[in-house]
Parts: sequence; structure tokens; C-alpha cells
Amino acid sequence: MSRRIAIVEDDPAIRENVADALRRQGYELSTYPDRQQALAAFKTRLPDLAIVDIGLGAEVDGGFTLVRELRALSETLPIIFLTARDSDFDLVAGLRLGADDYLTKDVSMPHLLARIAALFRRVDVLSTPDHAEELVERGHLRLDLKRMTAQWRGRPVDLTLTEFWMVNALVKYPGHVKSREQLMSEANLVVDDTTVTSHIKRMRKKFLAVDPDFDAIDTVYGMGYRWTAQ
Amino acid sequence: MRWPRLTLSIRSKLLLVSLVLLAIPLVGYSFVREMENVLRTGQEQVLLATARAVATTLHDRPELLERRAVAAGDDASLAAAPSTGEIEQIVKSLRRSSSRIWVIDRQHRLLALEGGLRRDSLEATEREPGLWERIAEPVLRPLYKLLLERPREDFDDALPEQVLSGGREVYSALSGVPASRWRQTTDQRAVILSAAHPIWVGDEVVGAVVVEETTNAVLSLRNRAIEQLIAVTLAVFLLGAGTLLFFASSLSRRLQRLRDSAEHAIDAQGRVMHGLPAASDGDEIGDLSRSFSAMLERLADYTTYLERMADRLSHELRTPVAVVSSSLENLKSETVPDSARVYITRAEEGVKRLNLILTRIAEATRLEQMLRHADRERFDLGRVVSGCVAGYAGAFPAFRFDLHLPERRIEIDGSPDLIAQALDKLVENAMDFSEAGRPIEVSVALTDGEARLAVANEGPELPAAMQGRLFESMISMRRDAATERRNTPHLGLGLFIVRLIAEFHHGRAMARNREDRRGVVVQMVLPLPNPEKSGATDTPNRAGAHARPDLNKADN
Repeated sequence: MSRRIAIVEDDPAIRENVADALRRQGYELSTYPDRQQALAAFKTRLPDLAIVDIGLGAEVDGGFTLVRELRALSETLPIIFLTARDSDFDLVAGLRLGADDYLTKDVSMPHLLARIAALFRRVDVLSTPDHAEELVERGHLRLDLKRMTAQWRGRPVDLTLTEFWMVNALVKYPGHVKSREQLMSEANLVVDDTTVTSHIKRMRKKFLAVDPDFDAIDTVYGMGYRWTAQ
Repeated sequence: MRWPRLTLSIRSKLLLVSLVLLAIPLVGYSFVREMENVLRTGQEQVLLATARAVATTLHDRPELLERRAVAAGDDASLAAAPSTGEIEQIVKSLRRSSSRIWVIDRQHRLLALEGGLRRDSLEATEREPGLWERIAEPVLRPLYKLLLERPREDFDDALPEQVLSGGREVYSALSGVPASRWRQTTDQRAVILSAAHPIWVGDEVVGAVVVEETTNAVLSLRNRAIEQLIAVTLAVFLLGAGTLLFFASSLSRRLQRLRDSAEHAIDAQGRVMHGLPAASDGDEIGDLSRSFSAMLERLADYTTYLERMADRLSHELRTPVAVVSSSLENLKSETVPDSARVYITRAEEGVKRLNLILTRIAEATRLEQMLRHADRERFDLGRVVSGCVAGYAGAFPAFRFDLHLPERRIEIDGSPDLIAQALDKLVENAMDFSEAGRPIEVSVALTDGEARLAVANEGPELPAAMQGRLFESMISMRRDAATERRNTPHLGLGLFIVRLIAEFHHGRAMARNREDRRGVVVQMVLPLPNPEKSGATDTPNRAGAHARPDLNKADN
């Protein structure tokens, strides 16, 4: 059974290009130019994954609205924002609404495919009740590489896919400094340094919310970041 | 032809204008003169009336005159005449104070003389001086003395022979026509007004009555009026000038304040630093301030628009670029002849570069957004800088980095990430301009209350025209060589980012040529936090003791 991916994007060229690329990978695609059509279709049948643009035609924040409505329909449906808007504000807003990832439109096709594959893998793992866990443990940190979930001191830390990959890259060799460029490529991310900085900042905040004494992510000025071995 | 421009402040101009008030005494003076004339005419009338009254009384009693004439003819001694008393009784009853009345017969013989011209108590009538007089009198007295002629009572009041016999009014009276005359005393100290009236006996003039009085009463009245006029004028002038001065001062103060805040609202690069508070005053200056404020607001909007334009541009371009790149990726999956593949590759390279440009353009804007939400913390500037420089040494082996740090910790309030980012840009900039093989100097120096993070390189100097503008968005003085070497376009955003970060730390960014003229120093000046706030870790005394050697180092 092939996976069904829905693309909600108002620009026909991008919509069709992405759809073609995904079809070539064997996915089944349905495309919608605006929020109303997409929502009507989702209410009859949910896709397996949704790629949503924020600005949809006349609706400047139509994508945000749609994702909120979509989350009400399904808790677990993987959702990716694919948008030209790259401000921190939009990124935070998008992730807070429950999107699993946030990508700008300059993301390359292989990167996009990697994310989609990863999200489907996670869905698969979550849907099979008994599975062999692939765990990475570093002190208080516990990463489930299959489910792509993280735990700190036994409590779950809600990381996005990008953040999970970054943490994973950091803890692979604790104490070693990872440059921003390395983190970006490990997280299949094409962004600038500033975005890495703000991703790190957000990750720290998420860990701090679970444990106020968290200080395992260390900034090495001029070089990058490292996971301090405890 | 140009006249030399006279520059006067509003204050001096209004003071000049207030000189118009000095016209008040002129008007007052002419009024006083008029009053004096009226008084003199009145005095003349009164004297004539008195003379007539005496003459009329004597007219009824010709025998008195006859007898006197005889007696005079006999003896020529006035005092001895027995009837003297009777005439003098009459005259005395009609006499006015400080006037002199005499009676003569046709032969100009003096028949009777009564009264004196001197007033005995000139000042006795004056009232108690008030507060104003007590204050003003000592000041004004010399002025009065200079301007006014005071009536004197020590004049020569002798009745000279020629007056008795030669007066115009006497002749006129003896010929039957009443007349009056002003004359000076022989010693020129006073003016005497004399009025003469004939004494008729039947149709015949038998003598004349002459009434005399000095003009001193009128004169002192006039003087009093003028004194008061001067005093009042002076008071009004002082009050008026004072009010104008106060008004002018408040005007110029407001204007100066407006000018100062207008000047400070825009920095040397023409950027609007902060708006102008719109004044609530309802007058023209308030209006001016409001229009300045509105103007600055529009200017700030426009500057913001220009700064945002790059960002909007990059944002708008993102979608078409994504269309191109996703199309190219799809094209790669199709069966394309090998001869066409090379074009796909070239197109992809082009798109990649375009993407990089867009990312860089957006970087400054994203940074501005980040600055708005950035957290501040206390950190050691030296540790950040040394960490970064160690990183650069590893990342750019082609360059040599010299690091100079003061020995003590340099505590800064702000964001270490941002400082590191700014240092990245400074070093990037220095490397682009550095001559091959020459070291890049990174230093932190402490001067009073400020830390200077400087990056110096050897290479071409700054063009003079660029010095103030380097830190603006999209300004670059890149040589083509630098662009080629990095194979990335340069948009001049690096130093703009440095400036934003410096301003986030309440500091500033500066670029200048090295003192040895061998290159350029770009530096960030960051204010140190107040020692009082630094907490228990370091007492102010110790901080001061530590600061001294550092200061010396900075001077070297």
C-alpha cells in the first residue's frame, strides 16, 4: 500500500514540482491550492502525511489555521510546513501548532525526501506495539532512534525532527565540538548560522523545561557546540 | 551687494523692540508742558483778577490816593504817611500768599507795598514719601537734578526802580489798559509774573495796582509731574522689558530645546535614532515641534522601508527560485541527453548562488528580529573572543591571528552568541582585505567604562567617503578580487550586522585607518556594566586596582 501525501500549496509550479518528485518515489499524491478544498478533502479522508504552506492565496496565515484544524482531526498525523517565510516568529508559531517540522522552500529535494521518510519510519514504529528499541543512552539522556523521541531523566522532551537530529549529532561523540555546518548537514538542514543558534537555544529551553539544572549543551564560541559528558 | 549679516538672538531683538516703550515719556513730557502753559495762563488770569479787585476797591476811594499823593509829594517818605495803613489794609485783605501787591500813582510813586514773593515753606506741603519714593528717590535724584531746574527761593526780590517806572505793564495800566508781563529777576534766578490794573477815578486814571508772583509754584508743580512721569515710565519700562526678556528667554529656551532634540534625533549617518516627542503646546513652536516629530516619523518609516526592502525582496524571490530549483531537480530525474546535462548543472549552480544571496540578505533582518527577543546575560568577553580566535585559527589556516587580551576578566552584559557572530563578521571582513601572509590582529582593550573589541588587518585603506557609511545595510567597498576569491557575492551586510549587535549592547561600531597607515581597524565599543551592579564577586576598589594596568596597556 503506497503512502498518501497531501500537498497544500498555492503556487502551482512548486506544488506540481514537489508532487512529481514525490510521485517518483512511489508516494500517492493529492494536491490542494487552498485551505477550503484541503480541509473538505481531509474531513472525508486523512492523508498519511501533509505538507502545508503558510500563506495560502488570500489567506496570509491560512496554513496555520489549516494545521490547527488538521491537528483537531488527528493527533498523530505527521505535518511539515514548507514555506517561503523564514522568520523565527513563524517557525516558533508553526512548531507550537504541532507541526513535526518546518522547512523553507529552498530545501533541496533529497533533504525533503529524507524528512518524509524519517517521519514515516517514526509512524511505523509507533504503530507496531512491540518492536526492538534502538536506544542511545548518554547519562540522563535517552534517545529512541526509531521513534525519534528523547527522554531526559526519564521524562520525555518534545523535540521536532530537526532538533532530534541535532541532539543525536551532538551526543554521538560527547565532548567533541560540532560546528554549525556539521549540525546543519546532520539535521538535513539548509539554513544559515543564525538559525542553528536559535535551534540550539530552543532545544536548551525544552530541556530546561524538563530539568531546570540542564546544562549539557555547551557553546564553544567561534567553533560550535558540544554535548558535555557527565 | 551683500550686507554683513547682523546676528541677533530673539532675546536681544525683543529688547530692542522694547525700546519703543521709551516713547512714553516723550508723550508725557509734551503733556506736562501743555499743563504748564495752562497753569501759567491761569496764574496770569488770577493775578489780573486780583489787580482788578484791588483797583476796584481803591477806585471807590479816590481820596486815599489823593492824600497819599499829597503826602508823597510833601515828604516822599512812605513810612511816614498816615494813610498808608488804610490802603494796606485793603490790599492785605485781597492779597494772596506769596504774592506782592503794590500801588502807584500816575507819577510812578509807590503808594503801598504789601506781601513778599518768597514762599517760606516750599516742601512743607509735600506728603510723606511712599515705599516707591523711598526706593526710587536716591536713584533718581541725580537724574532729576540733571534734567530739571528746581525753583529757587533765594532770588533777589528787590523792587528795582526801572521796574517801578519802566515796566511795560505799568505804562499800559496807567494809560488805562490792564496788562501783564513775565520778567526775570535781576539775578536771573526766578521768573516773576506781574499784572497791572489801572485805578479809575471817574474817567481818569489816577494810579495802578500791580500784583506780582513768581512762577515757582507752577514750576515745582511741573517738576513734580515730570518726576512722577520719569518714575512711572522707568517702572513701566523695567516691567515691560523684564516681561519681554522673560518671554524671549522662554521662547529661545524652547527653540533651543527643539533644535537640540532635532539634532540628536538623527545620527551622523542620517539615520533616525529615536523620534521627537511631540510638544503639546498650542503655539507655533509647539506646531513646529509636532511637524518635526511627524517629519522624523516619516523619515524613520522610509528608512525602515529601505532596510526592509532587501528582506522583502529576498522573500519575494524565494518562491520563484524554489520553482526553478525544484524544476531542475525534477528535470534531473528525466532522461536528458548528456549534452543537456551540463546546462542543468550550470543552472543548478546559479540557483545555489542565488539562494545564498537571498539567505544573506535575509540574515540581517532575521538578526534584527532575534535581537528583539535575545536574552542578556553577564559573560566574559575575553573567553568568547579567545574561543572564537582559536576557532578561526583552525578554520582558516591561511591566515595568522594575533590575539591581545587584558589579563582580567571583562564582564559584559549581553549575548555571547551575538558577540561571536559579530566577531565572525569582523574577521571575515578583515580576511577579505588582508594582504596575503600578514597577521590579523584581534584585541580587546579597556578604556574608561568601555571595552574595545578591535580587528585590524593590513591592506588597502578606507576611502574617505566611505568611513561613515560602512555600517549601513548593502554598503560595500569590496574589490572584485575579494568577491572572486570567496566566490560569493558581497552585499555589505557583514558590518551592518556588526553595527546591529553593537547597538544591541548599547555600544557602537567604528572603522578607521590604522595609525601606521598600513590598513584598517574595525572595532566595536561596548560599555562595561556599572561596577555597583556587578555584585559580590568584585568590590569596586579591587576592580579599580585591576583596571589600572589594563588602561596602561590600552594606551600602549
